[in-house]
Amino acid sequence: MGKNIHEIRDPIHIFVRLDSHEREVLNSRPFQRLRHIHQLALTYLIYPGATHKRFEHSLGVMELASRVFDVVSNHDNNSDEIRELLPSLKRPDELRYWRRALRMAALCHDVGHLPFSHAAEKDLLPDGWDHERLTREIIESKEMQSIWDRMTPPLRCKDVVKLAVGPKKARDLQFSYWEEILSEIIVGDAFGVDRMDYLLRDSHHAGVAYGRFDHYRLIDTLRILTTPSIENDADGSSGEPALGIEEGGLQSAEALMLARYFMYSQVYFHAIRRIYDIHLKDFLKDWLTEGVFSTVLSKHLDMTDNEIEASFWAAAFDESKTGHLHARRIVRREHFKQIYQRNPEDVFINPEAGTSVYEALKTHFGSENFRHDRYTQESGAPDFPVCLRNGDVESSLALSETLAHLPIMSVDYVFACRKIFNEAQKWLEEHRKNIIIPKKEEVGYE
Amino acid sequence: MNRLQKAALVGHLIQKLHENRSWCGETHVQKATFLLQEMMGVPLEFDFILYKHGPFSFDLRDEVTSMRADRLVELKSQLPYGPRIVPTDRNIYIKGLYSKTLSMYENRIAFVAEKLGDRGVAELERLATAFYISKCVGIEPSVDKRAKELMRLKPHITPDNAMTAIEEIEKIKNEAKEYIN
Repeated sequence: MGKNIHEIRDPIHIFVRLDSHEREVLNSRPFQRLRHIHQLALTYLIYPGATHKRFEHSLGVMELASRVFDVVSNHDNNSDEIRELLPSLKRPDELRYWRRALRMAALCHDVGHLPFSHAAEKDLLPDGWDHERLTREIIESKEMQSIWDRMTPPLRCKDVVKLAVGPKKARDLQFSYWEEILSEIIVGDAFGVDRMDYLLRDSHHAGVAYGRFDHYRLIDTLRILTTPSIENDADGSSGEPALGIEEGGLQSAEALMLARYFMYSQVYFHAIRRIYDIHLKDFLKDWLTEGVFSTVLSKHLDMTDNEIEASFWAAAFDESKTGHLHARRIVRREHFKQIYQRNPEDVFINPEAGTSVYEALKTHFGSENFRHDRYTQESGAPDFPVCLRNGDVESSLALSETLAHLPIMSVDYVFACRKIFNEAQKWLEEHRKNIIIPKKEEVGYE
Repeated sequence: MNRLQKAALVGHLIQKLHENRSWCGETHVQKATFLLQEMMGVPLEFDFILYKHGPFSFDLRDEVTSMRADRLVELKSQLPYGPRIVPTDRNIYIKGLYSKTLSMYENRIAFVAEKLGDRGVAELERLATAFYISKCVGIEPSVDKRAKELMRLKPHITPDNAMTAIEEIEKIKNEAKEYIN
């Protein structure tokens, strides 16, 4: 008899299992392409171990999504009130369908990623495009549609899309409460397993311990809860269901959020990592036809990190090749040096001080000598319902000092070309105070 | 509108909500900003979808996070409720830089804050969703039909509450006309 369950070894979750239907998705061209997309772009130039790919991350997300689903859909973990709001919880056939849909959405949530993941996404796609939109197009493509149709039961394409990209990116689709909860399992701000897996995996491969937290305990304590009667509401809670946690899991939720903060500050927002992303983007602008990635699916699927790495490697040692200067900065480690970074004193005077510094340096020394990187972490404070031991539900931010006071990561770097670095640094020291003072608007905005 | 102009307007709205006795948690700021933009026509350019407690903007959530990073607002938690969003001294400073833009929209901000200031989360959810239905979904103006759509989109809302919300948002819309154009 043929084998129906297949195991894949994984450094984070030990085994990831999938059945023969699901393996068809794994074997599809869009998914196999992820073997050649670095999870952390050029981070391996700073943390040499960080060469892992979107392929294994996606498997990990599927594994964790299944674990969360099994916990939150367990009859013993839900109240009658929740079952009334989410009738799928009462119907075993529907639960089986949605478990499969969730697993496949988790597996496919990153198939639209460009080469080098996020590094070049913002500036190198046409307006209105991002990797989530490409993910959606791929899930809805003929190749994938025929796989969804062959599954037992067949999966509705739109369901996979909704769960894979969530309401933030599928703004044209209406989500039921149940679909909101399931998409939150994958891409949610508080307990999305996408984040859980990337923190654990990136930390493992980068060789830093910051991303670890007790995800076993955290997942075991996840629950679907009605939102608490927060914010001084005279007529009680809103009554909407949301993904929350039992009181006993609060410390592991704190550890998750701290892991995120430390990974941002130590790895993702590392200044040199960020300037390599910028040099890569500069190279790609020169190297790509029309300076942007194609959104035609066949072309998207043809393009991986491999072709680009081979090109910038060749260009780095050949002045005649397109993008030589940018490639050289990457391959020969001649990256721009950090000349300015955000600091509390300047932010106090002007929250956009980095922009002022960048503009002033460009005007004085020429724009080709500087690069600017401004980014603040997305999403709000981790406010989710917590079920206390006495059955009451309260806000996580009211219960946890740690969550309420988590710092927010925000970067505002200016980088300078090495050949003018010393001169520019001296000039900036002399003029910084005047440069960062913000100007009062002359005309109001209509 | 640049980032700090938006921050100045949102910061001022938060301050006005406080002055009108609002708890001023995230839901209050989300719904008040939604009505300020969509009903009162203030060009904040946030993208709202139907999500948490009705119309919700992820862009606005990110903007409030940026304002916290820049110390323009801060969170103050208080048991047993969730956190309040509170403007800081720096918020006043930023507002000073954009006083011309602020003065153009001052009346509209004051109107929204006055109408929503003392409302709770559930009430705000109903009112904002009721407005979303007529403005963004384009359901025909019959009160009954809009109330049904409200209950379809938010199944935990009772028929009585849905009807009241639709009627009340109509009243607010009529009063708002004085401040627009």
